[in-house]
Amino acid sequence: MEKIIGGIKRECYPLTAAQMVHIYTLSLSPTHEIVNIGTGQYLKTELNISVLREALNRAVERCESMRMRIWKDPDTGELLQYVMPYENKYFEYYDFSALTEEKAHAILDRWTSQPFDTFGGELSRIVIVSMPDGYNGYYFNVHHCCMDSCSVITFTKDVMDIYCHLMYDLPYPKPMASYIESVKKDLEYNGSKKQLRDAQFWQNILNQPEPMYTDYTGFGRMIQWRKENPEQRWGVLSTKTGAGKTVTYDLSVDSTNKILRFSEEYNIPVSVVILHAIRTVLSKFNNNETDVTIKDFVSRRSTLQNKRSGGVRMHCFDLRTIIDLDKTVLESMEIINKAQQELFLHADYPTLGFYGQQRQIFGYPQGGCYQSVSFTYQNATLKSLVPYLKDIPVKSRWYNSGRQPQPLYITAMHRFGDGGLTFHFGYQSELVTPQEIEFLYYFTGRVLFRSIENPNKTIQEIIDMT
Amino acid sequence: MLEKLIELITQYIDIEPDEIKEGSRFMEDIGFNSYDFMCMLGDCEDAFDVEIDEAEAAGNKTVGALLAYLGGLK
Repeated sequence: MEKIIGGIKRECYPLTAAQMVHIYTLSLSPTHEIVNIGTGQYLKTELNISVLREALNRAVERCESMRMRIWKDPDTGELLQYVMPYENKYFEYYDFSALTEEKAHAILDRWTSQPFDTFGGELSRIVIVSMPDGYNGYYFNVHHCCMDSCSVITFTKDVMDIYCHLMYDLPYPKPMASYIESVKKDLEYNGSKKQLRDAQFWQNILNQPEPMYTDYTGFGRMIQWRKENPEQRWGVLSTKTGAGKTVTYDLSVDSTNKILRFSEEYNIPVSVVILHAIRTVLSKFNNNETDVTIKDFVSRRSTLQNKRSGGVRMHCFDLRTIIDLDKTVLESMEIINKAQQELFLHADYPTLGFYGQQRQIFGYPQGGCYQSVSFTYQNATLKSLVPYLKDIPVKSRWYNSGRQPQPLYITAMHRFGDGGLTFHFGYQSELVTPQEIEFLYYFTGRVLFRSIENPNKTIQEIIDMT
Repeated sequence: MLEKLIELITQYIDIEPDEIKEGSRFMEDIGFNSYDFMCMLGDCEDAFDVEIDEAEAAGNKTVGALLAYLGGLK
């Protein structure tokens, strides 16, 4: 639909279901930086700053979602989006090379905590930086309604490919796919046969008996809640400010390879191996509970169009599994794998729709839930995508806006440098201490490796071993 | 039916249509991961107007096996 915005005619589209999740987050948060994604990509090499500036400009020109704006129709209150035409930009340069690494990253964390003007303003910021120890690159902060982590990685790859083309005459990367075409396709979902099938699937899930909340700190919170309501099965994890931090834990390359080998040998996705470990720890921490739910984030980027269109496509749903303690590790992983495959198949259904229905059925209050842990596995890495960089040390950093939308969000990603797994634990600091997070990571690692070393042992045996 | 399935596959994987044979394995030869494969199975429902049992469909490891499975649902 056409709208006149600031005196100029713009082609506008409604927000997608994935974008509405972030608008919902904003509606619950006193501050807008909660939806910022701040990253830094640095290479240990001299970079030609004017060529990098040109590469960044071309990448922004090729990526419609980098130029997306959100507009609130003053007549109807409806939120709409449109794409601004490309304009050449002068990206600023900052030299932090004389600072300590800690100090430089603290500045970039602070930049990430600056909110964007969601309804009308530019929704990204790029700054070229020189970091300590000879690393050079750029800092990139973007609103979650424009991009998710997959888009950030795709955009980064595009910048590097264009830079390598301009500097070393390597082939120019293939065009990006149209973001607006992806949005149109997403909007066509409403009322489609696929939506009916997905709605039926999630209704069947919601018709099952009420799930059981399992807390990442143990059973203590539930004991408190049950003093008021002895039958309560949901939890309430809400904070006033959403204040949060992220801690990262690096797994060695050897340990990562053990997981990859296991995954290949038994034909089980890496995400399932990790989910098995997290759910077993939640079971162990909650009196060996067999009914465990984890919020599973799905990238919804399967087609080539979706992989190269930028934007935000992530949906999330409850991944509930009921696994008896006498099941073996392999049986547990098969159950999780099947549940996750079904979730993937029906992940186009709107996240907010699912949780709205769940709340209505089970009657829990605002902030109520059956999962304390959210999880996503990101398998794309810059290293694997840009072969030219294979001999250059690369550092990548995800910055902290100081806010977290989820009580605990575990992201497993392969490092840009050596391909080893890094676990990012983003947590709301009003709800958990850093020591409790450390404890959780420690047990997750123990369960994970005991499990892949003993795939035929039962869950009870694994719990006893750890 | 084979042409239609190949066309669907090339929407997911950057591969030339003539590289896809009935004996091609989705993961090892074509390069699917489990997530992309499940999504493609979802698209098969609309493309071939059939209802798929996810667990059964996911057991078809080659293009030919999936074709036979889809053919059996018609």
